[in-house]
Amino acid sequence: MPRPDPRGRARAPALSFLLLLLLLAAVPSEAADTVSVDVGAVYASNEGTSIDPALGTIRGKLHSMFNYTSYRMLDRKRRTLSVGEEGEFELPGRRTMRATPLPAQGDKVRLSIQISDGPRKLLTTTLGLRRGGMVLVGGPTHQAGVLILIISAE
Amino acid sequence: MNIEAKADGLLPREAEAELAGHLAGCPACAAEDAAISATGPVLRALTGIRAMEKAPALDAMCTRVRAGIEESREARRRPSLIARWVWIPAVVALAVAALLFYPAGTDRSPFHPSTFDVAVEDVESEVATVALIDKGEDLPRVIWIIEDAKT
Repeated sequence: MPRPDPRGRARAPALSFLLLLLLLAAVPSEAADTVSVDVGAVYASNEGTSIDPALGTIRGKLHSMFNYTSYRMLDRKRRTLSVGEEGEFELPGRRTMRATPLPAQGDKVRLSIQISDGPRKLLTTTLGLRRGGMVLVGGPTHQAGVLILIISAE
Repeated sequence: MNIEAKADGLLPREAEAELAGHLAGCPACAAEDAAISATGPVLRALTGIRAMEKAPALDAMCTRVRAGIEESREARRRPSLIARWVWIPAVVALAVAALLFYPAGTDRSPFHPSTFDVAVEDVESEVATVALIDKGEDLPRVIWIIEDAKT
């Protein structure tokens, strides 16, 4: 009976380490050219007094900025986009948000954002953020309250 | 023919009694019966002698075969040092790959913004009035869409 080649086994860890090094080497170059866009859709209303723990540290800020008693995160999506690549985010109430990273320098991120309600363009804007920064877009009506979008980019 | 059958133990009891009567009165048949009956023990003795002669060689062969089987089992049971630890880099590589390619579209970790420094370069709406709200550096900037005749 032929025995397994011990040299094949000896090569396996070396190949695994090589794969690991290649993966690690690929990360920084990709991260510099891409933007991770994170969009959370929050339903703000005066129905009840609950604040969704999924909102993290932003909970208190929402409560201090707006006159609603209840904040509930309905959806959250994150897309990693290259500069010039358009990413579409479906929002509650058949609305959509399109985000496109634009060329930027240093740790800045520039995002072209368009929010639509069917054929109606609710908002077209260009934002300049630092990586890890956040902006809120609110106002579109939803059920008995409004939608507040938490948009952050890294 | 009956003598051979008797030696083989195949003769029926009645025929055996009849044969015994015949052998008592026939010296020639009695001599043949004696010769055939002696063949079995001689053959058994010869086979025994041959087996005794071959026994050491057979034992040695058995020992070699058992040792070979045991060695093969041991080699399969106990992998080499490298093979024993090969899974560690494989697991590390898998963990890194999982971190890199984990579908982030459903991320539910809480928001922890590092800054609220945002520049709104331009803003417009075809169907709504848009207000920019800035309540200071400690609070996020807000773009508020006032849908006509709604909000």
